[in-house]
Amino acid sequence: MAVAATHVGGGIADHVHPEPQGFIRRYVFSIDHKIIGIQYLITGFIFLVLAGLLAEVIRTQLMNANGGFVSNNTYNEVYSIHGSAMVWLVVIPLMTGAFGNFVMPLQIGARDVAFPWLNMISFWMFPVAGLMLFSSFLMGAPVAGWTEYPPMSLQGEAGTSMWCAAIFLVGISSTLTGMNFMVTILKMRAPGMTLTRMPLFVWAQLATAPLSMVATTALAGALAALFMERQFGVPFFDPTKGGSPLLWQHMFWFYSHPAVYIMILPAFGMISEILPTFARKPIFGYKMIAFSSVTIALAGFMVWAHHMFTSGLAPFMQLPFMLLTFVIAVPTGVKIFSWITTLWGGKIHFTSAMLFAIGFVVLFALGGITGIFLASVPTDLHLHGTYFVVAHFHYVLVGGSLMGIFAGFYYWFPKMSGRMMNETLGKWHFWLFVAGFNGTFLPMHWLGFEGMPRRVAVYDPQFQFWNRVESVSSYVMTFAILLFFINILVSLRRGKKAGPNPWKARTLEWQIPSPPHYYNFKHVPTVYGLPYDFSEPLPYRGLEDELTDAPAPVPAGAH
Amino acid sequence: MAVASLPQQHAEHAEGGVDRFYEETRDLRLTGFLFFLFSDVVLFSAFIFAYLYLRNSGQSWPPPGIARLDVAFAAWNSVVLFGSGATMHYALENWKHGNFNKYAGMLIATIVLGIAFLGGQAYEYTHLYFVDKVSWAGSGIFGASFFTLTGMHGFHVAVGVVYLTVLLLQSIHGVYTKDKHFGLTAGTLYWHFVDIIWVVLFSIFYLI
Repeated sequence: MAVAATHVGGGIADHVHPEPQGFIRRYVFSIDHKIIGIQYLITGFIFLVLAGLLAEVIRTQLMNANGGFVSNNTYNEVYSIHGSAMVWLVVIPLMTGAFGNFVMPLQIGARDVAFPWLNMISFWMFPVAGLMLFSSFLMGAPVAGWTEYPPMSLQGEAGTSMWCAAIFLVGISSTLTGMNFMVTILKMRAPGMTLTRMPLFVWAQLATAPLSMVATTALAGALAALFMERQFGVPFFDPTKGGSPLLWQHMFWFYSHPAVYIMILPAFGMISEILPTFARKPIFGYKMIAFSSVTIALAGFMVWAHHMFTSGLAPFMQLPFMLLTFVIAVPTGVKIFSWITTLWGGKIHFTSAMLFAIGFVVLFALGGITGIFLASVPTDLHLHGTYFVVAHFHYVLVGGSLMGIFAGFYYWFPKMSGRMMNETLGKWHFWLFVAGFNGTFLPMHWLGFEGMPRRVAVYDPQFQFWNRVESVSSYVMTFAILLFFINILVSLRRGKKAGPNPWKARTLEWQIPSPPHYYNFKHVPTVYGLPYDFSEPLPYRGLEDELTDAPAPVPAGAH
Repeated sequence: MAVASLPQQHAEHAEGGVDRFYEETRDLRLTGFLFFLFSDVVLFSAFIFAYLYLRNSGQSWPPPGIARLDVAFAAWNSVVLFGSGATMHYALENWKHGNFNKYAGMLIATIVLGIAFLGGQAYEYTHLYFVDKVSWAGSGIFGASFFTLTGMHGFHVAVGVVYLTVLLLQSIHGVYTKDKHFGLTAGTLYWHFVDIIWVVLFSIFYLI
């Protein structure tokens, strides 16, 4: 094949690492992006279970208006660690580390990421940081929520310093992954894969990577300053020594607003892969979806102070931040309309992955709409710090990001394991999860409107009825996630063989065996077009040998 | 180190004098290294923002009771650092032209100037601490921002001195060739980056 012949010159495309030998090199300190992706996935799911149990502690405490399940201080520790763990140890690592690592290099036709060793190092920082975060319970965990505003975080016990160190470490890991992905996507695409021929999941990762790289480093600065102030008394934030608590809020939200896009953009990418595959229709508005990801990523850096409308921000600053935040709704709306139009007139297959993808679109849109309420200054003054905010960000983070993770998992599990998930259990998982989710978070909207404050261990008895509805629904949601894990374990052993392309999808990762070989492709393919034109032949050349017993490529240095 | 093993490992790929594997990985490393420097710029920017924010929130700067910084001394120290940027540039140029002795001399001069800059900074710190009684934790936002930012920069210079020393030893041991010297390029970029950060820090602490 002529395509293969052009690569015999010995560039990166022909550089194949020798097959790793032994359990440790293969599965523990692996430099293979697919294994690292699965490592991220398993570790992230373990932290999902731990942080989910903390959520159940919160809901059990709130069953009664006067609490009584745990002490008030323990309650504060629990919601602080729940939030921190869900953001930094679950959603971000799963979105970028797990799915980004496993899928992105396959979709661009690369043999690995640009810096495989760095990839391994970034992964191993992540479980260490997770253990550090949870170990803060042993020394008095932080009590000021996941945002850790001073001066309260300055007065917290030793665990708050441990929190700083843990988030710093997981932040470094995320920064390194961001750099690695940027270089990989910009420099290692298969021949012929121009930027406008990349799958939309790759576009989403390309928009996310600079956010991880830039915003996370800014957070590292804020965390280092808080750590220095707590441990060495260096005044940055303490107003009695001339510092400014507002400075922390600026530094923190300059990271954390882009971070919400780190948590959602990859999910947008997954949805943009899943919807066309199961509607059997080309994605509507490819360029607009790609372009809107980049717009969201850029605009995400200019809206951080909308979290600070009640913090004493100068009034002349409020208007531009409010308007810029409204502007972000435009590219997001472009995506939602493109997805709906993709479904329109399609031949829809309601697999579990597709159900979660459609559920994502609906629930994320609801969360986006409440975001507009909070972005407008007059309503925010009323709603700030109430359960309305809790409802909003759980709709985008659970109804959005976590549903996206489930959708992506059902979609790519056959590629990772070579086996199909059980569809019956998958559908039970979906319907129970959606019912439990809405039962838990929908009432929070009106509780917030009526003024129930967030982050309190006891509350006014008039709110007790709806809080009980929420708590019971949250147990349903937990049960649904239990079904999900049972489904994984059962399908790994008994699931029917998937074959290379069970969904008849068109991106590159589905044109090779499941699970893929350690070298990914026998010959790096050449790309001639977009992967979404379902009526056309596949736009790739050079894949003829992938599903035959043609010999594996020869590792470098083994000639 | 990894760069070192490449020429032998992939010698068989070389065709017509061009090692494509080396060229392509060099491209990846250069891009990755520039991204690393960029995120380091962001880290400095976070603290520079904090400094300007805190400085702006007070009535006067320096805050009451704290003496002005010694601009003249810091200016001479800056000349030392900028001079090291020049010697580093000539070190790389000489390497590219194959003048090993001139290269080694220029690189050693860079390392010595870097150490001299750190010595100057140490002198400035001790003078501030013992004579002006200004400290990191005990002088409010002035001490916090000044010592944190210049300390971060000093740390980068110290890392740079070690980095350049390693490069010197590597080049003596024949790790790099006239055409394949990405380590030296990266070291030069890093050293210029440290210089540029100092231009900003010098301006915002001593000049405004």
